[in-house]
Amino acid sequence: MQWLMDTRKTLQPGLREVRLSFYLLNRNRLQRASLTIIILLILVAIFAPVIAPYPGHAISETNPDDKLQPPSAQYWFGTDELGRDMLSRVIYGTRISLQTALIAVGLALLVGVPLGAIAGGLGGVVDEIIMRITDVFLSFPPLLLAIAIAAFLGPNLRNAMLAIAISWWPWYTRIIRGQAVSIRERQFVRAARAIGTPRSSIIFKHILPNTFAPVIVQASMDIGGVILTIASLSFLGLGAQPPTPEWGLLISTSRTYFLNAWWYSTFPGLAIFITVLVFNLIGDGFREVLDPKTRKF
Amino acid sequence: MKKFILRRLLLGVIVMLGVAFITFFLTRVIPSDPAAKWVGPRATPEQIAKATIDLGLDQPLYVQFFKYMGDLLQGNLGASLRTRRPIMLELQENLPATIELVFISTIAAVFLGIPLGVISARRKDQWVDHLSRLFSVGVVSLPTFWVGLILQLLFFRTLHLFPMGGQLSTEIKLTMEIPKITGFLMFDSLVTGNFRIFTDALWHIVLPGITIGLYPVGLVARMTRSALLEILNEDYITAARSYGLSERIVLWSYALKNSIGSTSTVVALSIGYTLVNTFLTESIFSWPGIGSYIASAVIGLDYPAIMGVTIFSAFSYVILNLVADVIIAMDPRVRA
Amino acid sequence: MTEYFEIKNLAVGFHTFEGVRDVLRIESLRIKRGETYGLVGESGAGKTVLALTILGLLPKPAAIVHSGEIWLDGQDLLKKTDRQMYTQYRGKRITMIFQDPMSTLNPVFTVGQQLARVIEAQQHLKGQANTQKALEMLEIVKLPDAGRMLEKYPHELSGGQRQRIIIAIALTCGAEFLIADEPTRNLDVTIQAGILKLMDELQQEFKMSMLFIANNVGLVNVVCKNAGILYRGKLVEDGPSEKVIRRARHPYTQTLISAIPRDKSEALKFANTVIKPDAEHGCPYYARCTLAEDACAASEPMLEAVDGAQKVACFVAARRQP
Repeated sequence: MQWLMDTRKTLQPGLREVRLSFYLLNRNRLQRASLTIIILLILVAIFAPVIAPYPGHAISETNPDDKLQPPSAQYWFGTDELGRDMLSRVIYGTRISLQTALIAVGLALLVGVPLGAIAGGLGGVVDEIIMRITDVFLSFPPLLLAIAIAAFLGPNLRNAMLAIAISWWPWYTRIIRGQAVSIRERQFVRAARAIGTPRSSIIFKHILPNTFAPVIVQASMDIGGVILTIASLSFLGLGAQPPTPEWGLLISTSRTYFLNAWWYSTFPGLAIFITVLVFNLIGDGFREVLDPKTRKF
Repeated sequence: MKKFILRRLLLGVIVMLGVAFITFFLTRVIPSDPAAKWVGPRATPEQIAKATIDLGLDQPLYVQFFKYMGDLLQGNLGASLRTRRPIMLELQENLPATIELVFISTIAAVFLGIPLGVISARRKDQWVDHLSRLFSVGVVSLPTFWVGLILQLLFFRTLHLFPMGGQLSTEIKLTMEIPKITGFLMFDSLVTGNFRIFTDALWHIVLPGITIGLYPVGLVARMTRSALLEILNEDYITAARSYGLSERIVLWSYALKNSIGSTSTVVALSIGYTLVNTFLTESIFSWPGIGSYIASAVIGLDYPAIMGVTIFSAFSYVILNLVADVIIAMDPRVRA
Repeated sequence: MTEYFEIKNLAVGFHTFEGVRDVLRIESLRIKRGETYGLVGESGAGKTVLALTILGLLPKPAAIVHSGEIWLDGQDLLKKTDRQMYTQYRGKRITMIFQDPMSTLNPVFTVGQQLARVIEAQQHLKGQANTQKALEMLEIVKLPDAGRMLEKYPHELSGGQRQRIIIAIALTCGAEFLIADEPTRNLDVTIQAGILKLMDELQQEFKMSMLFIANNVGLVNVVCKNAGILYRGKLVEDGPSEKVIRRARHPYTQTLISAIPRDKSEALKFANTVIKPDAEHGCPYYARCTLAEDACAASEPMLEAVDGAQKVACFVAARRQP
C-alpha cells in the first residue's frame, strides 16, 4: 500500500533479520495480539462452513420471515433485507477477502519480481526501460488505475484481482531492483561474473534467491492495503457481485437500509477495519524493528 | 536548480505520455469490440458503426493513437453516454465541489498531520507517540466509505447534529439565490456576504470533510514522524542542542525544514489519495463532485466518463508531484 | 571537595540485540579551571558518548546512565533535569565542537542564519547588533570576507572553512567549558595545524577549560596539559600528557604511541600478537595485551597512581615501578 512507501526505500533485510524480527514482534503486546488475530482470521476463513451458524445464508438461501432483524441471540450480527444471517455472511467474507488478497498479491509478485531482478541484474537500457514503465504505472493515484482497469475488464471479482495485480506489480519491481543492484555489486556475484557465469544464471541463481526475504516482508505488509482496495472496488460495484458476501459489497447494499438497520453496515465495516488494521500493525512493527534508524537499540 | 526542474518537467511529460498510452490501451486495445463498449450496452448497430469511425477504429493502431492524443490535447474526452454532453464540460461543473473537499482535507493534513508527526517523533516511544501512531495506523486502515455511513448513523440519524448530505439545505436552495462567481460555493457565498448560505454550506461539509480528511492526517503524520526520526539523529541536530538552542527551534525549524522534501512529497501523495477517496465517499453524501460523477458512471457503465475522470485525475496527480519536486528543488542542496 | 570538572565512577550502557552493553566506565577524570585535558582512544572507545553524557544529549531510550557523577563547578550535571541542562548549561556554560564538519552544520540554512540563531539565543542580540556580532565571530576564527560568508550554505564551503564556522558558533555561546570532539579529524594535515593553533589561541583568549578528544596521541601532547587514554570505554591511563606520552605505562598506550612506526622492524612489532578470547570479568585490554597474566583475566584493574600524578589501570604496569 502506498502509505508504506517510506519502507520501500529503507528495508533490505536478510533472512536472519526477518526471523529475528518475528521474535521481536512477539515481544510487543500490540503486535502479538495482531499476530494472534491474523491467525484467528485465517482459521475463520478456512473453517467458515463449520463456524458459520447458517452456512446456507452465505450465498443464495433466503429467509424472508426474518428480514432486517437487529442483533439477537439467534442472529448475533442481525439479518439483511432477505433475512440472511449477517454473521454467517461476514464469516464467509473473511474467506473471500483473504483469498482474493493473496491471489492478487501473488499475481503482482509473479510479474513484479522477475522484472525487478532482470532490471537490476542486467542494468543498462533494459533497466532504464523497465523502470520508466514502473514510473508510468506509479504515476496514477493509488486505486485509480485499479478502478479504470476493473471497469474496462468488466465488473467481477476475478477482474478486480487482476486489476489490483496490474496496478501493484511496479512496487515489487522497484524493491527487487534495488535489492538486485546492491547484490550485483557484492563479492560473490562479481566472482561469478568474473568466471564467466551467464547473466541469466546470475539473475536467477544468485540474485533472485537473495531477494526473497524483503519481498516476503513487503508482501505480507501489503495484504492489508489490498484487502481494503478489494473492498473499495466492490463497494463501487467493480468487484464482487451479489449475492457474494464480500465485505465491501455488503456495505454497498446496506446503504439502502442502514439508517434503520445500523447493524447491516456496521459489522462488515468492522470486519474490514480490524483485518486491515492487524495487517498494517504487523507491517508497522516489521518496519520498526527492521529499519536500523527506528530500531530501539 | 533550473536543470533539475527542467529534467523533472521532461520526465513529467514522458510520464503523461505513458499515462495516455495506458488509457488508450485500456479503452481501444483490451476490449474485444471497443466501439460497442464505448457506446454502451444499449446502443444500436448504427451508433456502434458511427463510434467505429469516430474513434478511428477502422484505421491502424498507430493512427488511432495519434487521433487519441490529438483529442486529448484539445481537451476532447468524448461525450457521456448518459447525458450525451461533453465529458470535459461535466468535469468542469463537478470539479469545484470536489476541490472544496480536497482542499479542506489537505489543510487538515498539513495543519494537524505535520504537527502530530513532529510531536510523535519528539516523544518517540512515549505515550503521545504510541497514541499518535495508533491513530495513524487506525485511520489508514479504515474503509473511507464505511466511515461516511457510520458518521451519518451517529450524527444525522441518532444525534440530529449534521445534515445527511448535499452541499446546501433544500430550503436554502429553493428560497435563496446562490451566488456563482468561481463555482466554489463556500468561497462565493463568503465574498458576496451571504453568511446564511456560507454557514449552511459549512454545516454540510463537516461530515464529508471528516470522512475524507482522516486518511491524509494519518498518512502525513506517520510520514512526517519517520522523516523526522531520521533527521533527529543527525549531527547538526545534536549540535544545535549543544549550543543551547530551544527545542522549539530545533524541532520546528532546524528539523522540519530538512524534512521539506519528504513532507511535500507526502502531501502530494495525500492529495492524490484524497481525490480517489472522493470516488468512494461523495455519493454517500450526495456531494455533487467528480466522485459522485464517476460512481454513477460506473453504475451506468458510462465508459467514456470513467476514462475521462481517470485521465483527468492521473494528469492532476502528475502535476501535483511536479509541484512537490519544484518545492524539493528549493532545497539549497539540490539548488547547487 | 571536587575539582572544577570531575567525573566519578561513571558507567553508561546501550541497549543492543544481546541486552545492555556497557560502553563507558570512567572511575575518575579531573580537569582544572582553564586547563585543557586530552582524551585519546581509538574510534568506538566511547569518546563521543562521554561528550554527549556531559551535555545530557545521549540518545534515549537507547542509552542508560547506570551510575556516576559529573561535577562542573560544584554541581552534579547528572542530577540535572533536561530542562535545567537546557536553561543553565547547554550553550551557556558548556558547549561542544563536533568532529565532522560535513554533518555538523544544518544543510538547509545559511551560515549567517545558523550563527544568528545561536547569537540570539545566547547573547540576546537582535537585528543589526546580531549581524555585527556574527561578523566579529567570523573574524575571530580568521575567516576572510565574512560578509559574503554569511550568505553561504554549508555545502558551498570547504572542510576547513566549515570547521572554523563550527568553532565560531561554539565560541559565540560564550561557554566556559568546551568539549572539542576530534575537531581536526576529517581535515587535511595542513589545515589541521591551522585549526589547532586557532583553538589554542582562542582558549587562552577566552579563558576556557577544555576537554579535547582525539584519536591521535601526537595532537594531545601539543595541546593539552593532562591527558587520559580511553580503551573500550575504560580510562586506562591518566596523568600529565608529557608523562603519559613519553613514559607510557599501560601496554595499550605504548601500542598507541608506537603505532606511528619509524622503521620496518617497529612496524612489524605487533604482527605476531596473539589475539586471545575476551576476558569477561577481566581487563578490557586482556585480549590484545602482550603482557597479560592470569590475574588480568580474573579481575579488572583499577586506576592506580604510579608516578606522582600519573595513574594507570594495569596490574603489570603498576608493579613495575620505575
